[in-house]
Amino acid sequence: MIEINKINKWYGDFHVLQDVDEVIEHGQTVVICGPSGSGKSTLLRCINGLEPFQKGEILVDKTSVKDPKTDLYKLREKIGMVFQRFELYPHMTAMENITLAPRKVRKWSKERAQDKAMELLKRVGMVDKADAYPANLSGGQQQRIAIARSLAMEPAYMMFDEPTSALDPEMIKEVLDVMVELAKAGMTMLCVTHEMGFAKEVADEIIFMDKGKIVERGTYDDFFNNPQTDRAKLFLSQILD
Amino acid sequence: MNFAYDFDWSVLWRDPYGVMLIKGLGMTIFLGISAWIIAMAVGIAVGTLRITKYRLLRMIGTAYVEVFRNIPLLVQMFFWFYAGPMLFGETLSRQINRLDGLAIYVSIIGLGLYTASRIAEHLRAGFASISKDQYHAVLSTGMTQVQMYRYVIIPYALRLTIPPLTTEFLTVFKNTSIVMTIGVAELTFQSYQIDAETFHGLEATTGAMFIYLLLGMTVVKFMDLVERKYKIQGLMGR
Repeated sequence: MIEINKINKWYGDFHVLQDVDEVIEHGQTVVICGPSGSGKSTLLRCINGLEPFQKGEILVDKTSVKDPKTDLYKLREKIGMVFQRFELYPHMTAMENITLAPRKVRKWSKERAQDKAMELLKRVGMVDKADAYPANLSGGQQQRIAIARSLAMEPAYMMFDEPTSALDPEMIKEVLDVMVELAKAGMTMLCVTHEMGFAKEVADEIIFMDKGKIVERGTYDDFFNNPQTDRAKLFLSQILD
Repeated sequence: MNFAYDFDWSVLWRDPYGVMLIKGLGMTIFLGISAWIIAMAVGIAVGTLRITKYRLLRMIGTAYVEVFRNIPLLVQMFFWFYAGPMLFGETLSRQINRLDGLAIYVSIIGLGLYTASRIAEHLRAGFASISKDQYHAVLSTGMTQVQMYRYVIIPYALRLTIPPLTTEFLTVFKNTSIVMTIGVAELTFQSYQIDAETFHGLEATTGAMFIYLLLGMTVVKFMDLVERKYKIQGLMGR
């Protein structure tokens, strides 16, 4: 369970996150949407300690992210993260990308890491690209490898930061399919995305953020059919056109 | 063309001068490669210090680069040769000064440390061109800072930096000519020696020039191979 308790973050004078509260239960899929600059990506980076925050508290399985005694490296092992621009290691093959962390962090043998990688490549439909370098793969393929790379650490949580925003329309589906399969298999997921079809299919909760605050939250039907704030109405009208 | 000068190109091969040039070339190559090894090791370390999240380490890295790249190499070489041993205290410095081949060690260390500051700067540019999310992606898999640099960021940045590193590698060999001033018998030194003994400095210097040219071209060829082997698949041209 991830508990986010009234966190506040400033970049200088800029108040990026304002009293953000949220609880993500085991097995849930939470979708975060909102205009750019609303703090969605920053929120994800606070959860795995990539960005510090000044006030409030985040607990991942009761472990405080803010506590200086917390081993953030250890904590990050159980929170996978997928990025908008994939961020594969360009000098390594798909297989090497996936096996690096299990081998170096978990100290798995090469064989064990490769077996796990093959299983994941099968899961994301990329077995034939094991030896390909990222630059020779399409965006959708790179993102599926990136998902496999995160899953290789066998995380309890997966965070997605606009995973389809940098993709051609035709490639969005192949990535969403993988994400839907993951959600249905019971992964606890936190997804920053504007793919409302995805939200409709798997989201247990949708959070709408604006200017660093959560201004609306609810199920897909609540949010989609009955938005409470003008800001959410405007946002929906724009992304649905 | 008519010159009031008797050319004698045989000083390039005649005994003992041919051997002197070859020995000089050997010393130049030895100095260049040894200095390069130090330069790469120190340069990677210093370049990485300059971008870590710890302020003190960044300051140390910056201080290193500023000191070594702002003082002329010749001055640095004199400093290490005359004042360097004194840094170790009186008794030890006396022993160091008696060391056989002291000038050679000083040359390698001096040239290595100087070149390291330049490598560190090239590498810093490489690091800066890697997106913040790339660093985040590595950390998000649970890898430590050290593992992140060791396995992903440094290998990636080095590949991005191969073209400027080629220039530096070339420059190390050319800069070895400076150490003739502290008496190391490298190629330039030997060509001067031939001039002193035969008064045919023109031929000797021309010979040395061509040897440097061939050496330089060989280095570039070698770095081409390195570049081809390590280029990032699909990301870089050719």
